[in-house]
Amino acid sequence: MKVAVEDGLCIGAGNCVLTAPAVFDQDPAEAVVVLLDPAPPESEREAVELAVQRCPAAVIYLLP
Amino acid sequence: MTLPTLPLPREWEFPFDPPPEFALLRSKEPVIRVACPTGIDAWLVSDYAGVREVLGDGRRFSARPGQIAHVLKSFDPESPVDGKFSRMDGPEHVRIRRNFAPQLSHARRLAEMRPLVEQITTEAIDRLLASAPPVELHVTFSRWITTAVIAELIGVPPGDRHLLHSAAQALFATTVSEEELQEALMPLFGYLYGVVGARRANPGDDVLSRMIVHSAGSDRPLTDDELVMMNGALLIAGFDTTASLLSYGLVALLSMPSQWAALCADPSLAPSAAEELVRYLGVGTGLLRQATEDTVLGGQRIKAGDYVVAAVQSANRDPALYPDGDRLDVTRRPGAHIGFGHGAHTCVGQQIARMELATVLGSLAARVPSLRLAVPLAEIAFKRDTVVRGPAALPVTWS
Repeated sequence: MKVAVEDGLCIGAGNCVLTAPAVFDQDPAEAVVVLLDPAPPESEREAVELAVQRCPAAVIYLLP
Repeated sequence: MTLPTLPLPREWEFPFDPPPEFALLRSKEPVIRVACPTGIDAWLVSDYAGVREVLGDGRRFSARPGQIAHVLKSFDPESPVDGKFSRMDGPEHVRIRRNFAPQLSHARRLAEMRPLVEQITTEAIDRLLASAPPVELHVTFSRWITTAVIAELIGVPPGDRHLLHSAAQALFATTVSEEELQEALMPLFGYLYGVVGARRANPGDDVLSRMIVHSAGSDRPLTDDELVMMNGALLIAGFDTTASLLSYGLVALLSMPSQWAALCADPSLAPSAAEELVRYLGVGTGLLRQATEDTVLGGQRIKAGDYVVAAVQSANRDPALYPDGDRLDVTRRPGAHIGFGHGAHTCVGQQIARMELATVLGSLAARVPSLRLAVPLAEIAFKRDTVVRGPAALPVTWS
């Protein structure tokens, strides 16, 4: 599974961190998304899919 | 031909649900023209996919008219934006959000705030249990808690907190004119200009000081006007919306004994219960946008300049989200509800709201499991003429 983020539009809501804390963090300066693991294990798929849905700015992508 | 009127919540008939006409609209006519009470006509979008599309595309559907100008007369959708971030789009708007986020929605900062929220909640329940039932909860408990939290965060001392209440009352009321609104907000904004000046000179550890210090290092530091606007919005929205959902949520839970019992049996369900209540009850009056170009939505041709009302609560009941969405279920598996909105304007305080709601609901369930309504549900009066829905008063008792 490959994950990408487009942080230019991120508004720092933090839903991704709440949903998939093993995959996402926020930078301390502007609370913008930090992708901890661009190739997370399959066990994280459900959490990552929900994080994609719950991102208000739609900046998280699950790549095929 | 006259247009149908925008269906608005009728809590005296349906205390917790969007009016039933939405079920038919979602399945048959998810995008239709309606007449709104403030005199504008708009496209009403009522299905989950459509509402997500509208709120998620700030370029095609601008926030310029203001979130609530379809129901609040005091907001003219054609007036100048005047620096209000809730009406801004694109990079200008993101700049403001990037100044809010480190203070309000950074996971570690929220963890630092948790002890404050827990302490305020403990004190509120101590005071509740020390008084003789029946007690009215909305003003003396819900609003007391949420006012204390946001005021502590921004550093407004207890003696000055009345300024928030009168401002909120005017801001969210549908019957207030634009002039009356400006007059009601002036004392709070005047006060905040003073506070901003003081914090620039002597920054503390509060949200306002941190915003000043943090933005001072950027290439566009926040101006006094911006700081007052942002913190005024936080103060007003921060206490009334959360308190109202807390009270409204308690009415719902206490009216559904199996749900309250589930929470009391396992108070660790509180975060899930909080999330479910936001989905179930949130934003019943919908959110306004304006199309920036000719476009198509739900098979309808929208013209540039057309207003669009996103029916959030209806979207959250769409079977496309959960097959049994009209049922309140505190054990529901997490999903992508949009009770805090969606897109760039999604609620800026949602993480604090989640934390407050979960902390209070969990503590109440653990400490006062015998809590119940002191009057029948039919006698609970709901606030009228406001977009911040919930009970006007919440009489409760306990054993």
